Amino acid sequence: MTSHRIKQTETGDDFAIQTFNLTRTFNELVAVDGVDLNIRKGELFALLGPNGAGKTTTINMLGCLLKPSKGTAHVMGYDILKQPFKIKEIIGVAPQETAISEHLNTQENMNLIGKIHGISSEELKIRSHQLLEIMGLSGRVRDQVRKFSGGMKRRLNIMMALIHNPEILFLDEPTLGLDPQARRAIWEYITQLKGEKTILLTTHYMDEADFLADRIGIMDEGKIVALGTSHALKANMQEKNTMIVSARNLTPKVIDEMRKRYAEVSISDDTMLITDSQLDFREIVDRLHSAGVIVRSAHIKEPTLEDVFLNLTGKELRE
Amino acid sequence: MRVWELCKRNLKETYRDPLGMGFLLGFPLVFMLLFGAIFSGDNTANFPVGVIDEDNTPLSQAFINEALAKVSALEVTNYDDADTALKDLKFGELKAYIVIPSGFGQQVSQNWQGEKADITLQMTYDESDVMVSEQLISIINAVTRAFARIEIPVTINANPIHIETKITYVDFIGPGIIIFGLLILIPTSARTVVRDKEKGFLSRLLTTPTRPLDFILGYSLCLVVITIAQIIIFMVAAWLLGMNIVGNAGLAFLIFFLTGLCSVGIGMVIASLSKSETQAEPLCWLISMPLAMLSGCWFSIEMMPSYLRGFAYAFPYAHSIGASRGVLIRGVGLEAISTDFLFLVGWTVVIFALGIILFRRSMRS
Repeated sequence: MTSHRIKQTETGDDFAIQTFNLTRTFNELVAVDGVDLNIRKGELFALLGPNGAGKTTTINMLGCLLKPSKGTAHVMGYDILKQPFKIKEIIGVAPQETAISEHLNTQENMNLIGKIHGISSEELKIRSHQLLEIMGLSGRVRDQVRKFSGGMKRRLNIMMALIHNPEILFLDEPTLGLDPQARRAIWEYITQLKGEKTILLTTHYMDEADFLADRIGIMDEGKIVALGTSHALKANMQEKNTMIVSARNLTPKVIDEMRKRYAEVSISDDTMLITDSQLDFREIVDRLHSAGVIVRSAHIKEPTLEDVFLNLTGKELRE
Repeated sequence: MRVWELCKRNLKETYRDPLGMGFLLGFPLVFMLLFGAIFSGDNTANFPVGVIDEDNTPLSQAFINEALAKVSALEVTNYDDADTALKDLKFGELKAYIVIPSGFGQQVSQNWQGEKADITLQMTYDESDVMVSEQLISIINAVTRAFARIEIPVTINANPIHIETKITYVDFIGPGIIIFGLLILIPTSARTVVRDKEKGFLSRLLTTPTRPLDFILGYSLCLVVITIAQIIIFMVAAWLLGMNIVGNAGLAFLIFFLTGLCSVGIGMVIASLSKSETQAEPLCWLISMPLAMLSGCWFSIEMMPSYLRGFAYAFPYAHSIGASRGVLIRGVGLEAISTDFLFLVGWTVVIFALGIILFRRSMRS
């Protein structure tokens, strides 16, 4: 397993969130295992990993819902063990479950959280109006949320986390169970918040992390196994390029010759997968052509975060 | 501020949920309406009962003529000896017969003068007719207790047994159904808390600056409001169905209120111990239904074996039924029900404290 932890050189003041050997066990199970993270102010950081990787437990500890078994964390300089109520004043959390009051309407749900945070009615009015506009729920202010679709509930879930204008936003699987269209809509809303707030997002959708995050921490079995920008993480995979060729007349002789020339060659029906550290597209196509193979299509496959995860853990990141 | 916001939110969640409201109010109200319809009006049961007066004192005579004979559900016939009455019982002419033993008048007199003396009546009935015999035991028990506990009169005639003569089955069953309604607060309270726990709403609130005490007060206050509303509705419904409120309605309300708080406390304990509604729901019924059976709201506790009776009196509901019947039917004051009342206060304090401790602990886990 390769570790890509980045050694930070910034000072503590530059970071919104810092964790120090953050660990949480549940009886014998180590849910979060010595996590050290530094998330910069204004950064959108995604924790990517399969279910049970320890992402939600990490957020729960940072949101002062769970006490760590070992280690600690600082949120805007406040210690999660010593100053939980200071932290609760400056964070907004959108939990994985759409934790909303089903028999209350949109406005009442926002008002409840706003008033708990001590926001004045006037400020609440302005803030909720802005959020309703951004999230596209202006027409449903007085509707009880039990009538809402999954996507609308998810949007309200995020709005409730934002109503008190927190410095840090925790989004735990914000698009879980939504159709692609609803997911896209929420991605757009989150994109609008980028730079304005520090956002820690957990997801097991690699495309979500890829699309939204400034940096990604890949998490597996409680540990951060890789950390960096999506580009940097994929760049580490460039040593393993794959070319996919769809062709006719792939004779055993041609396959043998290719296997001698390249590190990995596999065949499935009329498709050949060639993997090596360096691949020259034109050279491969010419070589196949001269051997009498009719090439119908060919392309070099870009590495995905799925490939990164597979490479690091030997497992697939199932959606 | 936070407490009030949470309380408001919990109240809205409750009254805007038609199923929940139906369960909370409809369930006991249906019972009340059914019992009211079955046992009220012209169709009131008329049970022929024989009486053998072996005491033959003015008090025993007053008991027969002024108390028993004036209960609309009873058709009292005097017998000279038990053998004749037994024969009529066997032939179905009587549903039961009562023997008033000698010394009865003296025992009643002692009670009137504040000296406690056991009242013994011998009642023979057809045990195969469970429902009738049960009702008869309840009625005669209530009449006798009321007669014996009455304030010291100068003469019997000067203190007519007005209260008892009006006892109907609705009077007897009314407080029981109100208590049954308050028992329904156990699952309601548990559901209110555990639903938020299960759906993550409690976790969301725990990421805000809300303090544990704010939560507890927010939920408790809402449940207290529900309890008060429920008691008022049930008392009005029982009164509309013909239940006579002879005693102090305020004192009866206080008894019901303490009983409601006990239910809320039990509900909070269950919610604290449960992780989901599916866990809490059966636990609630497993507790509230036996408590309802043992409370005496459907049938008289006196019918139960002594070990069960002891068990029943370990919980607040049998005490609240006894105390509320005393106040509503017999018109007694706080002094006469002080033991039951203190027991209720004690239970309320203990179960609420336990609920708060466990709720706080469950929030930390």
